[in-house]
Amino acid sequence: MRSSVSLSHYKRVMGQGTKVRRFLLWFLLIIILALSFKASQIDIRTFIDGMPHALSLIKEMFPPDFARWKRIITLTAETISVGFWGTLLGILVSVPLGIFSAKNTSPNAVIYNTSKELVNLLRAVPDIIYALIFVTAIGIGPVAGVIALMLATVGLLGKFYAEAVETIDPKPVEAIEAAGSHKLSVIRHAVVPQVFPLFMGYNLYALDHNIRAAMALGLVGAGGLGIELFTQMRSFNYQKVSAILIVMLIIIIAIDRVSAYLRKGIIEGTLFSANKFRDYVLMAIVAAMAFISIYFIPVDLKEIVYGLPRIWEFLSNMFPPERSDIPRYIWLMLETIAIGICGTFFAIVISIPLGMLAARNVTHSPVISNAAREIANFLRGIPDLVFALVFVAAVGLGPFAGVLALALHTAGFLGKFYAEAIENIDPKPVEAVEATGARFLQKIIHAVFPQALPLFNSYNLYILDRNIRASTVLGVVGAGGIGFELIMSMRIFEHQRTATLIIIILITITAVDRISAYLRKKVV
Amino acid sequence: MLKMESIHKRFNGAEVLKNVDLKVKKGEAVALIGPSGSGKTTLIRVINGFVLPDNGRVVVRGKEIDYRKKDELRQMRKRIGMIYQLFNLVDRTSAIDNVVSGALGRMDRGFELISSTIGLFSTEVRERAMELLNFVGIEDKAFERVDRLSGGQKQRVAIARALMQEPEILLADEPIANLDPRTSQKIMELLTKINRERGITIITVLHHLESVRDHFHRVVALKDGEICFDGRTDCLTREHISSIYEFAGEYECAAA
Repeated sequence: MRSSVSLSHYKRVMGQGTKVRRFLLWFLLIIILALSFKASQIDIRTFIDGMPHALSLIKEMFPPDFARWKRIITLTAETISVGFWGTLLGILVSVPLGIFSAKNTSPNAVIYNTSKELVNLLRAVPDIIYALIFVTAIGIGPVAGVIALMLATVGLLGKFYAEAVETIDPKPVEAIEAAGSHKLSVIRHAVVPQVFPLFMGYNLYALDHNIRAAMALGLVGAGGLGIELFTQMRSFNYQKVSAILIVMLIIIIAIDRVSAYLRKGIIEGTLFSANKFRDYVLMAIVAAMAFISIYFIPVDLKEIVYGLPRIWEFLSNMFPPERSDIPRYIWLMLETIAIGICGTFFAIVISIPLGMLAARNVTHSPVISNAAREIANFLRGIPDLVFALVFVAAVGLGPFAGVLALALHTAGFLGKFYAEAIENIDPKPVEAVEATGARFLQKIIHAVFPQALPLFNSYNLYILDRNIRASTVLGVVGAGGIGFELIMSMRIFEHQRTATLIIIILITITAVDRISAYLRKKVV
Repeated sequence: MLKMESIHKRFNGAEVLKNVDLKVKKGEAVALIGPSGSGKTTLIRVINGFVLPDNGRVVVRGKEIDYRKKDELRQMRKRIGMIYQLFNLVDRTSAIDNVVSGALGRMDRGFELISSTIGLFSTEVRERAMELLNFVGIEDKAFERVDRLSGGQKQRVAIARALMQEPEILLADEPIANLDPRTSQKIMELLTKINRERGITIITVLHHLESVRDHFHRVVALKDGEICFDGRTDCLTREHISSIYEFAGEYECAAA
């Protein structure tokens, strides 16, 4: 009797509403995925047919050929230097802009809104597009790279700085204001001391990110190792290609480690206290960096002086934007979005097992979790454009290469994020489920996943946002999407088309950014 | 039902359990008392294998447990339910989802294993979970997320989850330490009811001596890793209690 009562109750409370909503959501997701698969020409046969080709490509890469080691070293130094100067100039511009675009330190509403929107605009443009613009305007070389990274850095740091300033403790500010101090001295004595460690952390993050980005900027001619990589790839010197890839990977992973160590030290205030040897190593690294950046100074003042009028000329040639091809461009943009969606989908598929293996509280084996971590670091270390270049050689031109590149590169991020999320879950419910005699997988799915899922979803949305942004420039190396049209329009000096394409990309990226931020707020 | 013989356990050199012997008959309700650090929780965790003893035998239902054999350990856990001080529910999921997870251990073969792993439970299992939620008195909260429930309601969900295992033994590690007195009273009544009506053997770590008196007929007291009292509740005198709990006082005197 009771059982039938419960059952009807069960059906009533379970409610058809939530079930139908959930079903519709999944249905929608599957349709979007299916359409994206179709648009990005994902084909299992292409993949299988490409496999032997990819394998022979890898075989041809060995042994790596370091014959041009002098050039590699020079270019590596140039890459680091481009990253350093881009970051430094970016920081100089970001400090005032960040303070102006923070509600509590901005002089007035007009300056606040203008600087905030300027930062948003700068952030929306991918660094490769900046590089393309300045390579076209002032010519091939590292100067274009420095300016591109500077602008991208302002977009990144301007927002971080403003957020840091907005979350400071207002009490000391009030105290100094109460003493009748000038606005500037309030900022100097009440704001700066509070945000300084945070700013330093962000700066290091930007530097790390920019050196990584500088590796890829060369692919469009903006200086550094990327130029050499692109040249050797085009002339099928795969042994030289692998030598460059190895150097890139070593530099990127080393910088990633040093930067993470320094950031941790700054936040915990333990820098320069752990042990002497480490301090010397750190100082040596900083000194080497300074030397490289000054010795290989990529900015030639002459170039900038001659370049500025050309930038103006380039910009004025963009107007009015060409409108005849807009429908075709919009279709291309949709294909680009599809590449981002598919790349994210495969990144998730790879990252679930990778993240689980990397989580120390799941595997209980340091060997397995460290191996999985290193795989994630490796994937994260290679820029997606570099992956794309390699996959274009393996599976041919087209969006599929782009999907694979995004999937592998961002699986490195997601794998790491997932592992951290899983390591931070509450172990008590997991034990409780284990105590019922549940098996390993049952335990994972019923006690670990439900706890980590909201965080997973938030990361997935973040990566989706990032991948759609990245997919707009994959075309630069022939990996599908609107980027190909963009680079072609620049090569044949159809600047009005370039303007249209950039506007479409900007609108899309801004919209995706807003939607993703809104959804992320909802899932957590 | 349960027999523990000369159980010995060290943690980082400290002896937490020293040759503990304990026999529990089917249907008994046993309260484990003792000062903090006396080894109560360790002892209870030895029973379902979350702490592996260095020495000694544990016999459950006439079968000695070999802790090295994972499957044997799992088979034993299936029939031993456990509830905790902090409830240990999976937040963000509903009460009924937590309750059905108690059936996971039982569903360890063939199709049932696959379907339960991916979260599909038969209507029978769900109905049974509903019945148990009704039994513990919070059927109306079945589809509520557990992080929105009160402490007492959470413990009821945890009890329902343990009952879902159809356990022969129910272990409880300070089940009322985080609840207010009125709620504690109700939870203890519920545990007593489970013991009397369903004949489930209950072993509870408990600090609240009044609850011990009201609800248990047998008390086992641990002090310093050894059993210092084992008998009927009404034989537990004031002198016994002060000798069990005075360790800290003596230590202070000795130090002075």
